[in-house]
Amino acid sequence: MKKILIIEDDKSIRKELSKLLEDAGYKSIILESFENAKEDIIKVNPDLILLDINIPYINGEMLLLELRKSSNVPVIMVTSRNSQADEVLSMSYGADDYIVKPYNPTVLLLRINSIFKRIEKTNNIVTYKDLSINLQKGTISNNEVEIVLTKNEMIIFNYLLNNQNKIVTRDELMTDLWNNSEYINDNALTVNISRLRSKLKEVGYDNIIETRKKIGYILL
Amino acid sequence: MKLSKYLKDKLLPISLFFVMYFIILLILFAFKVQTLLICYISIVIFTFNIIFLLISYFRKKSFYDNFLLNIKGLDKSYLVLETINKPKFYEGEILYDSLYEINKSMIENVKNYEFQMNDFREYIEMWIHEVKIPISSLILYAHNHKDIIDKNLVYQMKKIEDYVNQVLYYVRSENAEKDYLIKENKLDKIISDTLLKNKDYLLENNINLIVDNVNYSVLTDSKWIEFILNQIINNSIKYKKNNTDSYIKITAEDLNNKTILIIEDNGIGIPLSDISKVFNKSFTGTNGRIRSKSTGMGLFIAKNLCNKLGHKIYIKSKENEYTKVYITFSKDNYYEVLK
Repeated sequence: MKKILIIEDDKSIRKELSKLLEDAGYKSIILESFENAKEDIIKVNPDLILLDINIPYINGEMLLLELRKSSNVPVIMVTSRNSQADEVLSMSYGADDYIVKPYNPTVLLLRINSIFKRIEKTNNIVTYKDLSINLQKGTISNNEVEIVLTKNEMIIFNYLLNNQNKIVTRDELMTDLWNNSEYINDNALTVNISRLRSKLKEVGYDNIIETRKKIGYILL
Repeated sequence: MKLSKYLKDKLLPISLFFVMYFIILLILFAFKVQTLLICYISIVIFTFNIIFLLISYFRKKSFYDNFLLNIKGLDKSYLVLETINKPKFYEGEILYDSLYEINKSMIENVKNYEFQMNDFREYIEMWIHEVKIPISSLILYAHNHKDIIDKNLVYQMKKIEDYVNQVLYYVRSENAEKDYLIKENKLDKIISDTLLKNKDYLLENNINLIVDNVNYSVLTDSKWIEFILNQIINNSIKYKKNNTDSYIKITAEDLNNKTILIIEDNGIGIPLSDISKVFNKSFTGTNGRIRSKSTGMGLFIAKNLCNKLGHKIYIKSKENEYTKVYITFSKDNYYEVLK
């Protein structure tokens, strides 16, 4: 399980952030005191850090600069400072991403996920049961047939796959699609899901995407 | 400085001189002085008086002409004192010294306001960062407790955030300081971030989005332009037509020296009589009065920000048919060379 360290001085935010991460299947650790932030980070040895800029004792940007002298852990700056100058500065200090508060929680999770994917350089082939899914080509295949998914169908299937056995809301799917510049509406999402289902049926997996009424979908 | 006007100004001393000359003549005639001597005396008196007049005229003329020319030439005429030498005649000295004192007191006064403005601006910026923390917290809370929290709450939070941002950018746009950073930004990323932020609002209003041909890089500040785009899209949603399939179409045109971003909608449009005023401060127009309450600040701030960033923004519209907003980003050749 990936360890994510939250460096944030607002207690209410870090509590909710921690819950968000835990629900998404990460282990979250909260940094409680900021006096020896750098040493504490190294001790915790996280897989990723969510770092606020306005923290006590040391400015987040300075902390990042210090940290980069001894560690390459991915860092996402999370801040209410909505300025390009701060963003450029943070990135030049070695941040991997910069997110402005208030943010869409699903977007934050997508960004975290994409950083992990980038680091692990996961090859473009993932598997689901005996299906192999080629993300680059946009195909799913069992031993006999290969079926081509559209970009939208692939985004939806990939999201469901990443959250297998968890309920995924329509809103989350919509956010991922819009995040990939596919600005579709509610009806189109329904159509895409039913097409995806029938394509999955063709490769022998009927009813693996179940509808949970008024909540969303679940990939079994 | 004109000689005729100068002489007119000296009318009193000149007429006194003629009175004096007339008296001298009378005296000379009374003492039966020779006519030739009278002529000589007259010539001397006239020559020296004319020389005196001309010298004092040209001394003043050279100072005042230079002074007036510099005032005209400067776009900040209060700096004129820096461009002239202290004059060598008495009245000029008085003028020069007074202007110096007046300038000083004005600068102190302006500085005072600047400090106050800066303090205020800093406070507003700080306050906005502060208020965004509880907003973030509430959005996270709502996300984590979807089962008990109505989606409307998130939507209301987004509205609060938009209003808060409007204040932030109003302060930024009114401020003389340069607090933006221009660099190359991907247009499609800017558009996607803005649309993602408005996703729920757009979906709820059943607005179809057509985003096409926007894979260009533009020189801008991404945060500022996102705010501008957000204002425009919010207007499109606010002024959509009921009972039709509404759409917002975002496209770009890449020309030799500029890139034009076009945001088009098929909303209620803007009446011809209003179109020239939409960027005015506090202008709400017919639409703003009929539809939901409008502050008339959104486009005003957008225009101000565009001016600062060096972008052009303009609107074409036909009532009941469409509204098209154009934003042009110029390309910097110097920047191309650096790459």
